[in-house]
Amino acid sequence: MAGIIEPVGLGEARPVDVSNLEAELSALWRTAAEDPTAESAVTRACTLTLLIYVESDEAAYEVTNLVAEVTRQNPCRAIIMTLEPHAASSGLEAWVSAHCHLPVAGEKQVCSEQITIRARGEAGRGLPSVVLPLTVSGLPIFLWWRAAGFSPPVYFDDILRVTQHVIVDSARFSPGTTHLQDLAAWLHKVAGKIQLTDLNWNRITPWRQLIAQGFDSPERRPYLDRLTRVRIEYEQDSARLVTQRAQGLLLSAWLASRLGWHLLRCERKDASQPRTFYFKSANGTVVVERSFRRVDNPCGVCFTIELIAEGASAARFSFSRGPDGKVVKTLAEVPGLAPIGRSVRLEVLDEAEILNEELKLGVRDRLYEEALSMVARMISS
Amino acid sequence: MAETTTLSNPLREGIRIHSTPEPCAMVIFGASGDLTKRKLIPALFYLSRERMLPAGFSVIGCGRTPATDDSFRDEMGEAVKNYLKLSSESDELLESFSKGIYYVANDFSKPEAYSQLKIVLDRLDRERGTSGNRLFYLATPPSFFPVIVKHLGAAGLAKPRPESWTRIIIEKPFGRDLANARELNRTVTEVFSEEQIYRIDHYLGKETVQNLLVFRYANGIFEPFWNRRYINHVQLSVAEDLGVENRGSYYEEAGLMRDMIQNHVLQLLSLVAMEPPATFDATSVRDEKAKVLRAIRPFTAEQIDEFTVRAQYVAGWVGGKKVPAYRGEAKVSPTSVTETYAAVKFYIDNWRWADVPFYLRSGKRLAKRVSEISIQFRRVPHLLFKGAGSDGLEPNVLSVNVQPNEGISLKFCAKLPGATMQIRPVQMMFRYGESFGAPPPTAYETLLLDCMLGDATLFNRSDAVELSWELVDPILARWREEGSKGLATYAAGSWGPAEADALIERDGRQWQRV
Repeated sequence: MAGIIEPVGLGEARPVDVSNLEAELSALWRTAAEDPTAESAVTRACTLTLLIYVESDEAAYEVTNLVAEVTRQNPCRAIIMTLEPHAASSGLEAWVSAHCHLPVAGEKQVCSEQITIRARGEAGRGLPSVVLPLTVSGLPIFLWWRAAGFSPPVYFDDILRVTQHVIVDSARFSPGTTHLQDLAAWLHKVAGKIQLTDLNWNRITPWRQLIAQGFDSPERRPYLDRLTRVRIEYEQDSARLVTQRAQGLLLSAWLASRLGWHLLRCERKDASQPRTFYFKSANGTVVVERSFRRVDNPCGVCFTIELIAEGASAARFSFSRGPDGKVVKTLAEVPGLAPIGRSVRLEVLDEAEILNEELKLGVRDRLYEEALSMVARMISS
Repeated sequence: MAETTTLSNPLREGIRIHSTPEPCAMVIFGASGDLTKRKLIPALFYLSRERMLPAGFSVIGCGRTPATDDSFRDEMGEAVKNYLKLSSESDELLESFSKGIYYVANDFSKPEAYSQLKIVLDRLDRERGTSGNRLFYLATPPSFFPVIVKHLGAAGLAKPRPESWTRIIIEKPFGRDLANARELNRTVTEVFSEEQIYRIDHYLGKETVQNLLVFRYANGIFEPFWNRRYINHVQLSVAEDLGVENRGSYYEEAGLMRDMIQNHVLQLLSLVAMEPPATFDATSVRDEKAKVLRAIRPFTAEQIDEFTVRAQYVAGWVGGKKVPAYRGEAKVSPTSVTETYAAVKFYIDNWRWADVPFYLRSGKRLAKRVSEISIQFRRVPHLLFKGAGSDGLEPNVLSVNVQPNEGISLKFCAKLPGATMQIRPVQMMFRYGESFGAPPPTAYETLLLDCMLGDATLFNRSDAVELSWELVDPILARWREEGSKGLATYAAGSWGPAEADALIERDGRQWQRV
């Protein structure tokens, strides 16, 4: 494991005695306070406990770098847990390290601590007994489940019982699996006790905000009830295809749940394209089409959503991120009004940034719960 | 003609992100002025770029300077680039924002200008969907406020259309004395209702000022100690290292008391001293702030000499550079008696604060730019640790840093590690920059958005403005009467005059080192 964690700021990650982690952390801070080479004083800051579940040493390494970024905005005690239930040997190992951020002139150096625990084989059952005493008293506990699906083993129940927020990322869920339905079922089971959020849902929050703004003016609002078609286009051959595909599903589910549409059926018109969904709205049928599209200048995150009201008084609202990957152009075309277009910044946030946003919010998201429930129905249909 | 509706937008509900206002048009009077270029347009661009403004949001600059829509857009675009230090990557975003900027060149002391403005506003309602929602911003010299307000009323622009809103933001200074402020209030309220009026004080948009309310009312541990039983005194320091820059003629008229104490400092004081409001809404918060101002003990003429200090800076050194005396600044009289520094001791006559002095000080060309509120608690009633470094044991001090490093710190005593009982003061600090990483939004971004959303909590109400003038007016009158007599001096770059030190030292206290 020595190769897993690079030195970040305050000293290298060092292997420590699992049964004595608090004392090891104290020693780490004492060393920092006495460091004669330090140019400024060290302040230890903590606003929450962040438990992170990963599936491999490589993932633990990736997460360590992310934690260094996350602690800039959300100072916390980060506890990375790697579970290898099928390992031949059994045992628990731990490392401690700190993430420090260079201060501006005259300010203190702010540091957060990280504990990495690897559980192999049968010893995984003992993981909660090591983790629970390490949670910081009085501060919220977030569990970031960074895996290809959400399926905590039974012995994780003790950890889930003290956790207020569970964060998943449906962009990591393997395509063609039932993970989203499983998640919806789990959420139903723990309703009200644990707040569940999805980083992929947060990635589309600015899109949802832009779409909502498109219907703010009283002249455009009526078209929300007259929508007949929603078109979502993703960039083909993108490394982020899985992410965008899940986002398209979540966006469709959000529109359907907010606008009171009922799922009628789905069909696959073309084997190479995602399924088309048919909903019943108060005014008729709404068709939600999703498709892949080749773009001239691929950027990996080109994405377009169009909301269309067909018929005698046709209107079209489009929101499109182009090849620069940073700007979204919006256009509203409504009869009797001049078309209104604008460009706004909507960069693709990296994993640390999106996690930071989520950690700051930390409140129940009922819209996500509604949308997830709709997604489960859409996938099952 | 497009059909309209008053239905709510279900897509807006529940999004866990800042609220965005309804589509609207913002009219800036004084569009060619410094405030528009330095603060307003950069703040609006930032809000627009970050998706916090609605689609179709439009700005109409109004001024006498001849300009076209295009030339005004270019000028504002340059201002945004200069003040936000934008890279060329933002060109597309700036161009998109600029498309919503218009200019009306006319003499706004004449009614024709308002007919012209009305035509543009109606056109934007049709073309950009601004829905009849209007925000007027008076960024002109104060002498134009009454003229513009009266014309807006006469042109029918002050009255909101059904299902729309009309609001007006008025920049400080709101009046130059009590009579003038009352007259201005009367003029404005004849045309706009109080709910439509937003008197801006950008200090109140600062994150730490808002956090002061959260700190007091979202934490159970502080409010029980927030009274005369535990607090010895309160200090408010608002220091600037800058001089009057190119505002010599304005400053000669205003002076520090009008420029800072009457508004910023008294607003801070009212937030520190107010009772808990029943709810966090504009009416409740502003009711409580007004009660504090009403409870401040007015001075007799003799008390003014005893409880106030005024001073003017002479030449000195700031940041390693020699700087001239106030009287040597451009557009300042060589015999000026205008104060550039003031210190005041107030008492608040109510149950919570009886006999607790509030020391206020503010000045130009002081040692550094800093604004801080210091709550000094009473000493322990009995010292247990004789000879343990406890003879000069420092009292607990809670400091609220408003700028530049926004945050809160608490000073308390701790034992030095070791076999002997040695006590030293230590500080426990919370800094926005450290705890939350990202810098807070600027005050203008916060306040412009609040106004568009109809939240007047952080804006001044007429009664608070008049109450502040009631306190300040007699002081100004006495100082005017005294002329140069009693005007102290201090070296630029120092912490103010010795007379200000004497003001607090007479009570056995000292100014906090901020």
